[in-house]
Order: sequence, then C-alpha cells, then structure tokens
Amino acid sequence: MRSISSPISAVTSFSEDRASLRHLSLIDWGIFLSVLILAGIGLATVHSASSELAVDYLPRQALWVALGVVLLLVAFSIDYHVLTELSLLLYSAGIVSLVLVLFVGTTVNGARSWLGIGHWRLQPSEFMKLATMLLLARYLSGINQRHLGPRQIAAAAGIAGLPMMLTALQPDLGGAAMFAPILCGMLLIAGVRLRTLVAIVLVSVSVGGALFFFGLRDYQRQRIFTFLSQESDPLGAGYQIRQSKIAVGSGEWRGKGYMQGTQSQLRFLPERHTDFIFAVLAEEWGFLGVATVLGLYALYVVNAVRVALRARDRAGILIVVGIVSFFAFHVLYNSGMVIGLLPITGVPLPFLSYGGSFTLTNFIATGIVLGVDLRRYVNR
Amino acid sequence: MNVREYRDELVVRARLLLGVFVALLAVVCIGYWRIQIVHGAYFHDLAENNRLRRLPIKAPRGLIYDRNGRLLVENIPSYTLLLDRSRSRDIEGSLGFAASVLKRPETQLDAVVARYRGAASFTPVLVAENLALAEAAHFGVTSLEHPEFEVDVRHLRLYRHGAQTAHVLGYLGEVSENDLTRGGGRYIVGDLVGKKGIEQTYDQLLRGRDGNRVVVVDSRGRLLEEDEREPAVPGQSLTLTLDLDLQQEAERMMDGKVGSVVALDPRNGEILALVSEPSFDPNLFARRLDQDEWDALLNNEHHPLQNRALQNSYAPGSVFKIVMATAGLTEGVVGSDDTVYCDGSTAIYGNQFRCWKRGGHGWVNLHSALKYSCDVYFYHLGQKLGIERIAQYARMFGLGDSTGVDLRGEKAGLVPDPEWSRRERHQSWYPGETISVAIGQGPILVTPLQMARMVAVVANGGYLVTPHLVREAAIPQPVATGLDPRILANLRQQLWSVVNEEGGTGAAARLDGLDIAGKTGTSQVIAQKTWTDSSSLAYEHRDHAWFASFAPAAAPRLVVVVFVEHGGKGSAAAAPIAKALYEKYLQPDLRSNVLLGG
Repeated sequence: MRSISSPISAVTSFSEDRASLRHLSLIDWGIFLSVLILAGIGLATVHSASSELAVDYLPRQALWVALGVVLLLVAFSIDYHVLTELSLLLYSAGIVSLVLVLFVGTTVNGARSWLGIGHWRLQPSEFMKLATMLLLARYLSGINQRHLGPRQIAAAAGIAGLPMMLTALQPDLGGAAMFAPILCGMLLIAGVRLRTLVAIVLVSVSVGGALFFFGLRDYQRQRIFTFLSQESDPLGAGYQIRQSKIAVGSGEWRGKGYMQGTQSQLRFLPERHTDFIFAVLAEEWGFLGVATVLGLYALYVVNAVRVALRARDRAGILIVVGIVSFFAFHVLYNSGMVIGLLPITGVPLPFLSYGGSFTLTNFIATGIVLGVDLRRYVNR
Repeated sequence: MNVREYRDELVVRARLLLGVFVALLAVVCIGYWRIQIVHGAYFHDLAENNRLRRLPIKAPRGLIYDRNGRLLVENIPSYTLLLDRSRSRDIEGSLGFAASVLKRPETQLDAVVARYRGAASFTPVLVAENLALAEAAHFGVTSLEHPEFEVDVRHLRLYRHGAQTAHVLGYLGEVSENDLTRGGGRYIVGDLVGKKGIEQTYDQLLRGRDGNRVVVVDSRGRLLEEDEREPAVPGQSLTLTLDLDLQQEAERMMDGKVGSVVALDPRNGEILALVSEPSFDPNLFARRLDQDEWDALLNNEHHPLQNRALQNSYAPGSVFKIVMATAGLTEGVVGSDDTVYCDGSTAIYGNQFRCWKRGGHGWVNLHSALKYSCDVYFYHLGQKLGIERIAQYARMFGLGDSTGVDLRGEKAGLVPDPEWSRRERHQSWYPGETISVAIGQGPILVTPLQMARMVAVVANGGYLVTPHLVREAAIPQPVATGLDPRILANLRQQLWSVVNEEGGTGAAARLDGLDIAGKTGTSQVIAQKTWTDSSSLAYEHRDHAWFASFAPAAAPRLVVVVFVEHGGKGSAAAAPIAKALYEKYLQPDLRSNVLLGG
C-alpha cells in the first residue's frame, strides 16, 4: 500500500484546485510526449533512409503515425476491463488470421506474414501480441495466489505458445521470439518462483539449441554463425552487420549531419528504413543522437513501470507489464542487433522503424497504458 | 478480487524488471560508446576509404526468336558516362573536358549537372548515354587525369526488325514506382522492364534473376578485391509462333495504310502475323527519347503506339453475317432454300433500311445473300431471330469477351442487347437497332483479333481457340462452342463461294490453286441516307474495310483477317492484302506438294 500511495498524492494535490484539469493531470505526459518526439524523429529518419530508395516512405509512415495517434486515443478511452473481457474474442480472431496468413498471406523477404486487404497490407502477428497480452492478463489476474503452480504456468505458456508457433511457421522467427519477453515479464509479475523461472529459461535454451540444429533453415543458421564470428567473412554473410557497424561507428560524437550519412545514402546499408533505421540515425546524428533516443525510450519505460506500480488492480498491472516487456525488449534487441551484440532477425525499433502494423501496435499499446493510468481511481 | 496481499511482491518484482532493463540499456549504451567514440575514428576511416560495395550483376535478358528460329531481339552493349562530383576539384574543367570528347556544347552538360544540385555530391551524375566506342575508350585512357568520370556498360535491346514487329514485341522502359512497390523487392530503381507486348507479358521469364557481387574499393573507387557471390541467372529465351516472312509481308502490304492484320492457325490459335499500322520504332525507346521524338509519337493523329489488332474495336460490318447465318440455320428460322426479294431497300418497324446495292439483288437465298452480301436478306433474318438470340450466337463465337491473347491491354469489344442498353445507356432497346446489328452495324464492336478467332471457329469446326504468340507458354485448350459441325461445314462451302464463284464480293482474294474462303465487310463510319460511294467523302468519314478469311477451305490451316481503317470497301481494300499473305504462306506448300488434300 505504501508504494502506491505516494505517486497518487503528488498528482491529487495538483489536481484538487484545478478540477477541470483533473483528467489531463491523470495523463502521464512523460510517456505521451516521448512517443510523439520519437515518432517525429522516426519520420525524419525514415525520410533520410529512403532518399536513395525508389520510394520515399515518409508520407506513408506519416499516415501510419497519424492513424496511430487516433488509435492511441481510442485505446485510451476504452476501459481496460472491457479489453480484458474482449480478450478471448480478440485472441481467437488473431489465431484465425494467423492461420489464414499461412495459406493466403503475401510473402515478403521469405516469410509469409502479410494479409492484403485491398490496398493495405497488415501483419496479424503484430496485433496478435496485444491480444495475447490481454488474454494473459485476464487469465493471470484471476489467479489469487502468491506463487503460480506448474499447471497455471503451463496454461499461460500455452496461451503465448500457440500464436508464437504460428508466427514461427511463416517463418518469422524474430516476430515469434517477441512473444517470449511478454510471457516472461507477465509470469514474473504474476508470481512465478524464481527457481521456476530459471528452470523455464534452461528448458527454453535447450529447446532453442535443438531448434537451431534441426529446425532452422540454412539462411537463419547462417545469420547466427555470422553473428558469432562477425569479422571472419566481411564480404559474405557478415556484410550487413559490418556495414551497419561502419555506419554507426563513423557517426562518432555528432554524426555526419542529416541526410549526409555516406553509408546510408550510398546504399551500403541494407534494410535501412526498417530494421536498421537506428544505424542511419547513429551515422547522421552520432552518439549524441543515439543517447537522446535511448534516453527517450528509458523515459517511456520508467514511466510505464510507474504506471504499473500505481495501477488499480492486478489486471491493470499485468497489462502494463506485458506492454512494457514487449516494448523494452524491442528497444534492447534492435539497438543491440544494429551494433552486432545480438543476431540479426527482423525486430524493428518502436516508433522509428517504417512499418504500418508495428507502428499501430505500439500506439495502441501506449493508449492502453495511458488508459490504465487514467482509471487508477475509478471504482468498479 | 483480493490482490492486495501480494501487492508488495508485485512491486518488488516490477522493480526487478526495471532494474534488468536499465542494466541492459547501459550495456547497449556502452556498446555504442565503444563503437562511436572509442573506435569512431577507425570506422570513420572505413566509411571514407575501404568501401565495400555490393554491385548487381545484371542478368542478360532472354532473346526472342520467330517460329523458324530467326532472331528478332538481341542485346547490344551501350556505354554510359557517369560523373562523381565529389572526386572532381573543378567541375567546370571536368565538364569542359567531357564536352570536348563528346563534341557537345558545354552548356548542355551544365544543364544536366544542374539537375543534381540537391543530391549528395557522391551521387553519380548521368552525363551522357549511348557513347560511341571511341568516346568510351577515351574516358578509359584518361581515367588517371579525370578519375571523376566513369564509363558504365549496360545492355540495350536491339529490335532487329524495328517497326515491323513493334506491336508484337513491345519495348522496355524504366520500372515505375507502382511496379517497384508491388514487385516485392524484385526490382530496383533504374531497372528496365517490359512496357508493352511480349516484353511486358513475359517480363518475368525474359529478365532472369540479377546476381550480386561484393567488391572492395579504395577511396579513389579503384577495385581492390572482387568476390563474386551469387551469379546472375540469365533470362529465358522465347520462341514465338510468329512467322517473320509472313509478318514482313503483312507489314509491307499495309504500308502507308491505317489498320491491322491478324493471321493465325485456326487449329491451335498460334498467331503467325500480327500487324498494326501505323507502327513505331521500338529501338527509339531503348535509349531515352528526346522531346521532339516523344511529341511526334504522342501527337500523331493515328496513335502509332496503339495496337489496333486488339486495343481498338470497330463495327464488324457484313463479316457479322457469318454469325447471323449460323444462328439462322441452327435455330431453324431459315432454310438454305428460303428466299427473300431484295429491291434495294426494305421497310421494317416503320423505317426504311437500304441494301448496299442500289437497285437490289432480286430473289436471294442464303447462298446468294452471303455471296453478294445482300443486306435486305439479313435484315429479315435479324427480325426473325431477335436481338437476344443474335447476341447469344455472337458470344458463342467469342465476341464481347477478350480472347485471352498473351498481350496486355486487350479490348473486350461489345455485344449489345436490351439488358446492356438499360444498364449502360439508361434507355430501352429500339427494335430498329436489331436490324442494324443484323448486318454488323449499330452498337456492336469487335477487335480484329476477335474477328480472327470468330472465323477460326468456322474454320476448325466449332472450337474457340486462345490466340497466342509464345510457344512455350501454357495455353488453354480450344473450347468447344457446341455449334453443329455440319452447319459450320456448310458455311465453309458458302464462304468459299464468296471468293471463288462469279460475282462474289471476295473475288479480289481469289488465288489459283488454293481454295480461299472468306467474307468481306464494310463498316460505315457515318450514317448515309443515299447510296453514295464513301470514297468520295473526306478521309475520316470513309468506310472501314474488312476481310475475314481462311484457307484451304476443306482443311483450313490459316486464318487471315485484314482491317483497313477508312479503306472503303472490304472487297477492294482488304481482300487483296489477304490474298498476298496466302500466296506467301501457303503457296510454297502447294508447290512442294505438301498439301495433298487441299
């Protein structure tokens, strides 16, 4: 109780004498502003990254951001209890679309991940992460125990495992892997014993090892080998990571200036408007730019964790933790991947990378977080 | 929900998660610090000097041959001059040098470079294309003094027969933004893709797959190391069904006229010749057109870029009487011996309808009505059949629907009926229109290619073939129309008479030693109230001339449809052209006695 009372008193003392502003004061402006600034930086970087591409992706991404802001407000205005009530429906619809995509999906870069609806292409696996989070929150919030039993852990793992498996079948391993931090984060909060968590990690490592040798396709294994021996083959498969490191490193302190990155503008850098957009930013804005953006991500995560801590109920806490785990993992993985700390797989950077479904998912997720915060006093 | 008890536990765990995040973020930050600050100078050098480049290896595009293995399209090298402004100390001096080698005014090159003002200085400027070999070599030997220039070799398409095969083969153009986004990474900027004709339809087969090589270049752009990774897969070569001799003959016969010729094999739909006049030289598109050349093409009143054989549709005129006769016999509304009296015009539904022949044909039966192309006979047949049944038979002959030819942009034509009239014109069908449609006038529209397919149904005894140009392609099997083969055999006999009996309108196509069968057609461009010969009118008001034919009549192997826009009468303007084609294609067989049964 102590831990939730202090932030509340700070906010209420501010809003008591400005009743009309009460609702505005309930919004976590740190999160909201960091999202807007990040999206703005993202638009500028997408424009620079696509200046030598056939298409300037700026207008499209701008459209996604605009749509994202609208969806953020929509998600914000819906009570998250309604969302958890709907979660089974959303989850089932998501599973259907993931199965559908395996048969009628559009293939991009070797993975059948896209559903075409008229002129639009959507990636159901992105939205599925939100639905999975909500269903997990609904399931786990109903368990009123200090520690989860093995059956409950298995059930939770099943909820996350089904869409994960379907995404891996596309095959989009990066996308599938992103279900893991959601599950781990939420299990940890819901009350799994630490030794159980360690056991789960050990099992997944051994399963992962088996997958690596028997379940991966050649190019995927190649990427991991490349990651393990980055400098051995600079002309071959290590090309991408090497170009990325040269781009980042040559940015030095202050960068080469907007639209002036030789690595980016000379087309050395592959996937530069999507998964490797952070390399473009690092080259053109230097370490200062990198630090600023990582700082904004940290601001988002720290504030979102505070939202979780002061949330009204277990469901709210679990939802926000699921979202934060997902968000933080994307940031860490992508920024680490760009400088060769982690194997390359299709993990985009929230609010910076070009991509419709992913951008919308992040805006909706942010709306849900702000919505949980708004309703922290509401009696229900 | 009793959650309060465990809230302290939740808080501890959430803080643990946050702690892990902060720690990992710190690791990432240190990573960036190491690369950007500690080793920044090293990577800066790498970016500046030792550049790795991934260069595409262009896959050679597939060649195209005619049915006898004669080359129609090949690839020839072409040299392009590029300028890297970041390597030039004195742009003015560089351009002066280039102007002196290319013998072009320096101001022209200045203008080219000025277009790149906004781009980064290391973006190569495309200074000139299609350099002569000597010019390219000149830049090669002076590369030490002028390292800023680079000569790039590309391959251009050479269409050996230029305008003669233009509408069949098409041409290439730079990939559009639309194709780039829809291509899903298949194309990169600047790629050439088929824009028309075979080049467009079979682009995926012809283009092959580009390869990649990774090279290390130093700061002066010199190649230090080359390591080929992925070889290009050359495009597939295509053999067409086209017969170059026949195509050239058709082109020669149509020279100076406006219209089109389609020749195909009625047994399988293989197109042997497809000509649309006026034509254009596709080799112009291989290099960038200058404004005058574009204007000349775009402003030409006859639209040379349009493939008249399938992109324009016209009234079929009297050729449509083939459909009418088949419908009449099949439905039993006329017998072969039923006669009609033609005195030059007849009144139906209160309107006066004229036969093309002033004074009329007297008593005519189906045989003489087809032979003399008597309009009055078919007016009465049309009245008996009614528009619904006429439309039904027209569709059985493949009219009103695209033929499925392997060229893009095909028109479907139009088979009108009352339902169409309500839907598209928002008015009801006039009975008088039925009478016009009966002789192939009024709202009905067909393309010359559809006409060829229609005649092929008569020729092959009732099958709709899919006209096509590429032998290797997967072509649908001919589809049975369900028409009675005996009626079609009877019709072949009648159409033989049109050409070979005294007084037949197709007499101009008669050829000794070969049984040609056919039907003439003259479609009116403006309604005429009197029996004026349209050749006395202004060009754009003159009638269109049709001749649709096949041979040998007993076992047809070739269908020829000739259409001459504003050519006047089909009997005079179109039939002789068809005759010339039969002479070219089937006569040699006769001489070598291959055609025993003919």
